[in-house]
Amino acid sequence: MKINFTLFLLMGMPLLSHAQNTCATALPVTAGTYVVTAVDGTEAPTLACALNGLTNVTAGEWYTYTPSANYTVTITTDLAASAGADTRFHVYSGTCGSLVCVSGDDDGGSGLTSLASFNVTAGTTYTIAFDNRWSASGFSFELTESPIVVPPTPPITFTANTFPAISGNYGLATTDMNGDHLDDIVTVSASSVQILYQQISGAYVTNNIPTSTTMFQPSWSMAIGDIDKNGFNDMLYGGGSGVTFMKANATGTGYTEISGTEYVFCQRTNFVDINNDGNLDAFSCHDVDPNVYYINDGSGNLTYHQGGLGDHPEGGNYGSIWMDYDNDGDQDLFIAKCRGGASTAKINELHRNDGAGVFTDVSISSNMADPIQTWSSAWNDFNNDGWMDALIGASSTDDGPHKLMKNNGNGTFSDVTAGSGWDTNPSLNIEHVSFDFDNDGFTDVLGGGNKIMFGNGDMTFFPMVYPFTNGAVGDLNNDGFLDIRNGNTVYMSDKNSNNWITINLQGIESNSNGIGARVEIYGSWGKQIRDIRSGDGFRYMNTLNAHFGLGTATVIDSMFIKWPSGHIDQINNPTINEPITVVEGSHPLSLLEVDGKKIALYPNPTTDYLTVENFDLLDASSIEIYSQLGGRVMNTEMKDAKISLTGLTSGRYFLVIHTKNGEKYSESFIKM
Amino acid sequence: MNRKRTDWNRLLISACAIATLALVLFSVPACKKKPTVEPIDPPVEEETGVSVDLTTVPYTKLSDYRFFEGEMKNQVPAEKVIPYQPASGLFTDYAHKKRFIWMPNGTQATYNGDHNVLELPVGAALIKTFYYDNVQPAGNTRIIETRIMIRKSSGWVFANYVWNTEQTEAYLDMNGSYTNVSWLENGVPKSTAYRIPNQTECHTCHKLNDEPIPIGIKPQNLNIDYTYEDGTQNQLQKLVAVGYLQNNLPGNIVSTVNYMDQTKSVDQRFRSYVDINCAHCHAENKHCSYRPMRLAFSETSDPINLGLCVEPEEVIDAAYVYIIKPNDKNRSMMHYRLGSVEPSERMPLLGRTIVHEEGLQLLEEWIAWKQTCN
Repeated sequence: MKINFTLFLLMGMPLLSHAQNTCATALPVTAGTYVVTAVDGTEAPTLACALNGLTNVTAGEWYTYTPSANYTVTITTDLAASAGADTRFHVYSGTCGSLVCVSGDDDGGSGLTSLASFNVTAGTTYTIAFDNRWSASGFSFELTESPIVVPPTPPITFTANTFPAISGNYGLATTDMNGDHLDDIVTVSASSVQILYQQISGAYVTNNIPTSTTMFQPSWSMAIGDIDKNGFNDMLYGGGSGVTFMKANATGTGYTEISGTEYVFCQRTNFVDINNDGNLDAFSCHDVDPNVYYINDGSGNLTYHQGGLGDHPEGGNYGSIWMDYDNDGDQDLFIAKCRGGASTAKINELHRNDGAGVFTDVSISSNMADPIQTWSSAWNDFNNDGWMDALIGASSTDDGPHKLMKNNGNGTFSDVTAGSGWDTNPSLNIEHVSFDFDNDGFTDVLGGGNKIMFGNGDMTFFPMVYPFTNGAVGDLNNDGFLDIRNGNTVYMSDKNSNNWITINLQGIESNSNGIGARVEIYGSWGKQIRDIRSGDGFRYMNTLNAHFGLGTATVIDSMFIKWPSGHIDQINNPTINEPITVVEGSHPLSLLEVDGKKIALYPNPTTDYLTVENFDLLDASSIEIYSQLGGRVMNTEMKDAKISLTGLTSGRYFLVIHTKNGEKYSESFIKM
Repeated sequence: MNRKRTDWNRLLISACAIATLALVLFSVPACKKKPTVEPIDPPVEEETGVSVDLTTVPYTKLSDYRFFEGEMKNQVPAEKVIPYQPASGLFTDYAHKKRFIWMPNGTQATYNGDHNVLELPVGAALIKTFYYDNVQPAGNTRIIETRIMIRKSSGWVFANYVWNTEQTEAYLDMNGSYTNVSWLENGVPKSTAYRIPNQTECHTCHKLNDEPIPIGIKPQNLNIDYTYEDGTQNQLQKLVAVGYLQNNLPGNIVSTVNYMDQTKSVDQRFRSYVDINCAHCHAENKHCSYRPMRLAFSETSDPINLGLCVEPEEVIDAAYVYIIKPNDKNRSMMHYRLGSVEPSERMPLLGRTIVHEEGLQLLEEWIAWKQTCN
């Protein structure tokens, strides 16, 4: 039905349009208000430019708009005449059949109405389509033209990239599983594990691995780490009634289930070397009892413990995060806590690691004993002063809003929320996790409201809304920019011009993944630091590689890896804009010298033999050689300075000399 | 270790059974006539009536309380063990329930508001047996567990008894366990890995702040008739009549209804359902009181407390814009959560592993009935 608009205009009435049914017959509109009597056009949009997909979309109402000048255009259904409506629209450029998203919105207006602003170019025709995703009822919409407002450029943008191969129930992880330091896409189900192995080419190889039907599934959280140092990562499923470990076999092609018999109402789970013996232990927050942990004997046998790491009898433990807040080289524990009513189980806890498995509750003295109802906290050095700061993310405002805590470097924290941007951020969430998403050298926080709060490096943040929600964070195309997984969609970073470095760790004496290591880089910006964590935020398992953004800086003067073992590796002037893999001990802080003579390996690279120069100066007890994956390929008590490499395949190796007085020296070499 | 203990208990049961049989056959006086046989022992008098010795409870066996007469599996209450049933019941994977209350001689409960748990005297016991009918393949009844709460002077304690396969005895077990049950529900085959809760799980729901409390025994839930052995009577009146409840009840009690009672309004039915199924967490000073819902019957006359047009704080999917959206289940978080069996998303989190179809349908009825945000 055609309407004579001129007549309506002359009568001073709002335009009443029986909107058109298909893209091809879309009704041209100009600035003004229009009535849609019902969403019943025969052609339904097949490209969603707004949230919530295309489920139940069976009809559309189609319009075109061709501006006479460049404008910032706003389309809204948030009008009195649309009271109670639940609308959604998409704005496209291009032609019918090959439309391209320009804008769109579902619930951005008040109530469930829609509202979007976007910039248009004179003479370009835009197609506007309303759909019946939620309702076919009528409503009114308004199109207004304003002088061009250039929107703030997002520091980084992302493009949705669907992986049709992904299948399974728990799409929680983007973590390397096979020791090549390329983040893989891990999806777990009751009786299978699916891994999409990232290849150096950028392609993915899918492997669906059947498993036993696990007693517990990662319904609450998941952690990943190599508990038996066989080069293939193992998994921890945090279930509602207990913990399941899935141990990878020697080739990473199968998993053995080990389920705890203990009742654990798991929340956040972590792998961390709690007693610093070089073997990853496991920790789980307990919702309703004191926290539990499993100590690893070095053979991957895990013994259950309860007590000493958050012992409130009512639990209330939701978000455990292991990090080094006092820069003493060991892993401290912060627990984001939550509980209704007057219970003290909601008061957050900070436990200082004093070494040798001794922990001291410093919640009060550190100023972190806060009752905020929180399920997660985000820890990073937000102001690059070398100390880990914390964003305590509120999940409810019942006991206070978000709180940003600056690490004073003396064991205490100060509340710097006021004016930080967190005080004006109303979005609550159970997930808060910190990375440098835009590689500007200042760490950011992914929290509620589909927002990244971008850090300015001075304890202030500004929000930017994205079409994704919280999910596992990893580098899923190995380009140095972090990507975010939502189920089978990866929001792949579009990159920007900032420089970066990715540091992959291979522990030898420490745990294989280098979990608990502190990574530091120095340059024109001063200092930046990262902790390697298994189990960050509330539910997901992120990359285990350290990602740094450098902004416009082009040189990293020096880089230090402080391993849980105490070893420190130093690399000067590492190449930027590419990943670097650091094997523990391969770049000792100062080259070993005895009586002024350097201990060195030659030739390096080599073919058949390796000679240790000045070997006789060492009182050696044994020599070990490890592959780059961490597997030991040679162990000899031979004291000869010349070592045969017969039988070793080509590749990068790592030699460790143990001395009789317990010292350990290591150096890497390449066999051709 | 546990196995051996069970075997030992079984021996004890057999011994007790034989002793009891002997007593029945020869009568108590017959025993008393032979005091000289074992002159060192004090005369043993067969104890009768309920036993709740606060210094020794919880007992290791359910039968030790003597709450039931005859074969225990028939759940025939002993004298002064009074059955009761709240107007609406908690859904626990379709398990059927029998509930009883017992109080020591000369004690009674006091009224403390329509929607508050009755103030029960020290020594009181609440008994709740969970069972299934039409258990496959034989079609028999299977009693799974009997949960008891006992009021000590220091407060309430939990005691959970798991029934043996023979259905002759139930043993104290506070560690929790799973048991598979398959049964016919209105002719439809259903099955579940039934969870018998441990001490902590009991406490997670049964608490106010951190203190253990009962849930169902509130005037609002008992203000309906029950068919007793000796006739039908209002349950509150019955408690008064047997001396268990102080006779000072108000004339009008704001009461829940049976959510299956089609003669009641959908609003009353739904509000009664969420009270008994959800309010143990979603109320002031409860486990999840930091979330905006207030689901106790006394609070849901204001539908904003049901989450009507209230945005959820925990986002599962952008589709669920409100906890309940009027006339639109597809945008209602509560509908998603009541229909989910995913352990971190389903509601209630505890006590349910399969969907309560009738409860979900009731929610749908309420959503369809509620056309606006007011």
